[in-house]
Amino acid sequence: MKKLTYLFAVGLSLLFFASCKHDDLSMAKPNENVRPAADFVKNNYEMRLFYAALQKVGYVDQLNGKGPFTVLAPTDEAFNNLGIYTAADFDKMNADSLKKVIGYHVLPRRLRVADIPSNGIDVRYATLEGTALYASAASLNPNGGALDELYFSGVEATRKDVPMANGTLHVLNQVMKPNFSKTIQQWLAQHKEYSVFVSGLKKFGLWEQLAVQGPFTIFAPDNKAMEDLGITELSLSAMDASKYLGDLLFGVYILYDRHFFTSDGQVFAGINSNGSYNYYPKNTTYYMTFGAGKMYPSFKLAYSLVLRTGPTSNDPPVAVSGDITAKNDNLCSNGLVHHLAGGLVRPEEAIKR
Amino acid sequence: MKNESVYKRNIFGSFKSSAWLLAFSLLLLASGCVKVEYSKIEDPAYLRVFNNLNYIQTLGSKDNKVPFFCMFINPVVDASGMPVSAEIVGDFLDQRDAYAPPYPSHIGSSISVNNPEYPGKENVLVGPILNGFDLSSWAQVPSGKVRIMFAYRPKNTVPFFQLENELKKDILIDTTINLTSKEVYTLHLLQKDFVSKRTGILLRQEIFQKLPLSDSLTYVNFYNMSSKGYWEADRSLKADNFLLASFQGGMKDDMNVFLSLYENQSNLLQKGPAIAGYNGKYLANVKLNTSTGVVNPYVSFPIWASQATNGITTNMWQRFDFFTPGMDITNNPFYQGSTENGGNWVSVNCMQNGNARVQFNDNAAMLPNLLVNIHSGIHNPATFATVNSIEVVNGRIYLTTIQRKYAPPVY
Repeated sequence: MKKLTYLFAVGLSLLFFASCKHDDLSMAKPNENVRPAADFVKNNYEMRLFYAALQKVGYVDQLNGKGPFTVLAPTDEAFNNLGIYTAADFDKMNADSLKKVIGYHVLPRRLRVADIPSNGIDVRYATLEGTALYASAASLNPNGGALDELYFSGVEATRKDVPMANGTLHVLNQVMKPNFSKTIQQWLAQHKEYSVFVSGLKKFGLWEQLAVQGPFTIFAPDNKAMEDLGITELSLSAMDASKYLGDLLFGVYILYDRHFFTSDGQVFAGINSNGSYNYYPKNTTYYMTFGAGKMYPSFKLAYSLVLRTGPTSNDPPVAVSGDITAKNDNLCSNGLVHHLAGGLVRPEEAIKR
Repeated sequence: MKNESVYKRNIFGSFKSSAWLLAFSLLLLASGCVKVEYSKIEDPAYLRVFNNLNYIQTLGSKDNKVPFFCMFINPVVDASGMPVSAEIVGDFLDQRDAYAPPYPSHIGSSISVNNPEYPGKENVLVGPILNGFDLSSWAQVPSGKVRIMFAYRPKNTVPFFQLENELKKDILIDTTINLTSKEVYTLHLLQKDFVSKRTGILLRQEIFQKLPLSDSLTYVNFYNMSSKGYWEADRSLKADNFLLASFQGGMKDDMNVFLSLYENQSNLLQKGPAIAGYNGKYLANVKLNTSTGVVNPYVSFPIWASQATNGITTNMWQRFDFFTPGMDITNNPFYQGSTENGGNWVSVNCMQNGNARVQFNDNAAMLPNLLVNIHSGIHNPATFATVNSIEVVNGRIYLTTIQRKYAPPVY
């Protein structure tokens, strides 16, 4: 009898403790065939150039390692837009710079769309290279509708949340263009196609500021665009700087205290129905409208500038759009440079009266 | 003899095991016990806090610092000036909502941590019923001289003290306020100068609970707590939000307020017939004030002004027109739907739940009806008079409604 009660007590207490455990769960066996990051990229023929770049800079073993990683993989078409068509084209590049740019396309963490705050703009995430990139997500519009657009440093993620064994992958339709510690001044000086614009900035005392803290957004007209306006190296050197409004003639291409990716216009068009920004170019009475987004007819990210002589729609406009997507969104340490296909102000329009 | 000893042993044995069982069950019981200590604030003052620094997410303002705060009362700071703990913490303090309701009910049912006011969603000790007014939207805080601090925080869901240290050092305001025991206060975080961006606080000691107010009149007072220089500033510097209608550009520093009462808030096509005697009736004057916590005088209108009412419920709604002195309803030079009036004329419609617009020819911002229509007793709905404050801050207008305790519904 005593033994029985004792057994009963022990048995009962065992039941008490056993009730806290839930050992017997049956679960589906995880799929072990999901590939690690570098192998995954290797096996996608849309990303052959990106894999070649990973191989060239020696990231393959690391990306097949433990992780977790987030790989922002530009497609071959994205590299083609930059003039890179074969793996051999990478050999012509400076290996260190290439490694930095490729490292900027990998995050040492798992970043799914759900991890990015809804309607988060310019959320910074550290990359493998060390600098932080900018992520902007258009998730909700003011009427309560759901959006699903994600951009990294101005480049759209066209496929999102692709699972890999050691992380996640997003497909980019452009290559991000970080310039790390390079300033806008250094960047412009290295690109010969903007040499007339650079000479003009120097001539009118707008050049030195581009070496210091910004931010700036520069809409850089190339030499062809300048020539269409009647500005060449030769005509510039003959120009008397004191007779022209430099802030209008060349300052109009500088947007002060703002850094706008072309994707920002698209994101804000979604989240508050307004993807444009109006401003008076510094020290002028002209009125500029910057608009950006996926533009007709190609529906690729582009921007447009509309310059008017005054703030109302009655004032006559000079419209220009910069539609070469691959040349926009050059991210420098103190702002952004976008390519501008046509100039805005002719010298005779900027004569001091 | 032999049998007896067996019997004894059994008795003794079973007693011993029952004692074990008993002890064991007591142990189980005891381990399930918790000690509950109820928090209590000695000599509390009653405080409600609004963050009037508003923002809107636009392309041009994407780099601006978001005015999203954590509030501390009597904080403990470390050597570097970083708060490490506080007597009262109001985290996730977001910009205020257009409507501050009489009971924190609809705030409490929200699923976001962002708090449009303090206490709002915070689970804290709140005020009692004073002179019939339910103070459950006011938090109990220690009275006397208290230190109050507002720290910028990133807009996410991580509680302040779990943030990384470098995110906790951006203090906007660190000051002391004097609170008297058992008094009712509202505290406003404001931008005081639009050009210099100087910010500050405004503490107002409320008096509604001490006034002999009738329950068949609705009371309202007006404040203009805009920052200096807002209405003069260029449009490009102001938030671009069409829903703010005529208020978007702000209003002048000295304005007269006119009241119109309309019969039917179900008709959104046009304003409809006004109630006789209440079509542009002068009500009050309001001047810009961001420095003194003086309570502006309450003015009133009867809740049964309409002839069509049955004395239990009414469908009327209110419109307030703010005109610069010299202008009124009769000599208004602007057309009805004009929204850019240089700060000379702004208007607001108080109808339904504050999301309804009059569709044609109207320039009004939107606020909820001042009257509360709710199921009470056998009547659904019954209309109740309220005590209100209408506050204009830059391009926005806010309504705070205070209501008396009312009879619960009978179903």
